[in-house]
Amino acid sequence: MNKTGKSFWALLADNAVPIVFIVISAIAIPLSGFSASYLVQELLVRIGRNSFLILSLLIPIMAGMGLNFGMVLGAMAGQIGLILVSDWSIVGIPGMVLAMMVGTPIAAVLGVFCGNVLNRAKGQEMVTGYILGFFINGVYQLVVLYLMGWVIPITNPILLLSRGYGIRNAVSLIGVRGILDNLIPVSFPFMGGVVRVPLATLLVIAAFCVFIVWFRRTKLGQDMRAIGQSQSVSDSAGIAVNRTRIIAIVISTVLACYGQIIYLQNMGTLNTYNSHDQAGMFSIAALLIGGASVSRASIANVFVGVILFHLMFIVAPMAGKNLIGQAQIGEYFRVFVSYGIIAIALVLHAWKRNRDREAARRSLRGPAEGAKEAA
Amino acid sequence: MKTFMRFFQRTVLLALLIALGTWLFYIGREHRVFLDNKSIERDGKNFRALEQVNVSVNGGDPIELLARDRDVAVTVGPKFSIKVEVLDSMGGDVARTVEMTMEPGFGKDMMISLPLLNAARGDFILPPPGAASAPETKSANP
Repeated sequence: MNKTGKSFWALLADNAVPIVFIVISAIAIPLSGFSASYLVQELLVRIGRNSFLILSLLIPIMAGMGLNFGMVLGAMAGQIGLILVSDWSIVGIPGMVLAMMVGTPIAAVLGVFCGNVLNRAKGQEMVTGYILGFFINGVYQLVVLYLMGWVIPITNPILLLSRGYGIRNAVSLIGVRGILDNLIPVSFPFMGGVVRVPLATLLVIAAFCVFIVWFRRTKLGQDMRAIGQSQSVSDSAGIAVNRTRIIAIVISTVLACYGQIIYLQNMGTLNTYNSHDQAGMFSIAALLIGGASVSRASIANVFVGVILFHLMFIVAPMAGKNLIGQAQIGEYFRVFVSYGIIAIALVLHAWKRNRDREAARRSLRGPAEGAKEAA
Repeated sequence: MKTFMRFFQRTVLLALLIALGTWLFYIGREHRVFLDNKSIERDGKNFRALEQVNVSVNGGDPIELLARDRDVAVTVGPKFSIKVEVLDSMGGDVARTVEMTMEPGFGKDMMISLPLLNAARGDFILPPPGAASAPETKSANP
């Protein structure tokens, strides 16, 4: 009984964040008054929109580098690709693929830079990546606000600010809008409504999941897992720790670039100076809500996180409006929760790590004196 | 030898990526085709605006243009087909039909002068509004 009780509490503690969100959602869904078909439709759209970005966080976690706050670097690279493709008037799937091709080298270079910086800040990867995001954001703004249209040729006047250089705050991505989501049109009737499935996007995400499963079994994937367990042991075993960590960050950054392009093709509008900020924070929050921690994350965590986090996004404003008469309170709650959950997850991670250490220390001591005498 | 092979492989990969990028640019380029039905002078001769003309681009719905009208059609890809039906009077019968395939290629926008096209002149492609000179465009089977 005692053992069962302990394992129950341990299970509860391990999944505290998803459980809290399930409870909040269970309360908020009836309050919102949304129909089941509407919720399923919205969730499918958001799974397609966000999953790729969140999946890009898994590889650095595998390599023991924590949550890659530096993913915003990849998001910026993707946005530069989309701006250039919009200027060249390349539309449809070719436009999307070309944006990825343009963004890839930029993301790779930024990933190498980020990986090198993080290797010099071992143990503080997350805060370093976060601050690095701000630094590169400054460089991005310099490029987009001053160099585009002046040094980098931009011919489309719709993209440029009235002064003749610099990109406008909002860029319409009408040429690539929903292009992947609507590539294979599938819809089915569901509880009195019709639900459209972004099948092509979901297939791309499924392919990415297969890639991650395959990658874990490769030599490089095994090396990353070993480094995630212990850097000193991996180093002694002959694994090039720093190089492997850089590769992990480069892969994550390039995939974040693709994820941001998929995200923005769904949105249809690029918020030039802000879209990437939200990408990092919301992806990390969703992953943590899915039950992942700083040191352990799986594909299941990604999908549980997307569903729970975005379910809250959908229902919170309307639940707030129906409960208190103000949608703003739900909106406030949503933002508050997304940042708060990161803090809670980090605190829980530190608490769990201390608890595990204590348990390990206790197991080395052997049974207590009283227990010995009783035996 | 190993270093050379690696360099060679990377060069080939880079060349393939550039080729793929160029191909995507070629097939995904969007073109605005301005259809201009205004009187125009060429070689000291005046070509009057057509009374009514119906233009269909890539088999789409016909665009009806009366005299002094200008409209725009959007096409994607390196070539597009155009069908021009010149009517003998406003709402009358089709007097002449011109069908052709045009290849804007890497170019962006273009403007087609319908009076010049009707007169079977080769210089019917005009610079788009706001552009300095006419884009280079090949027209097949005019």
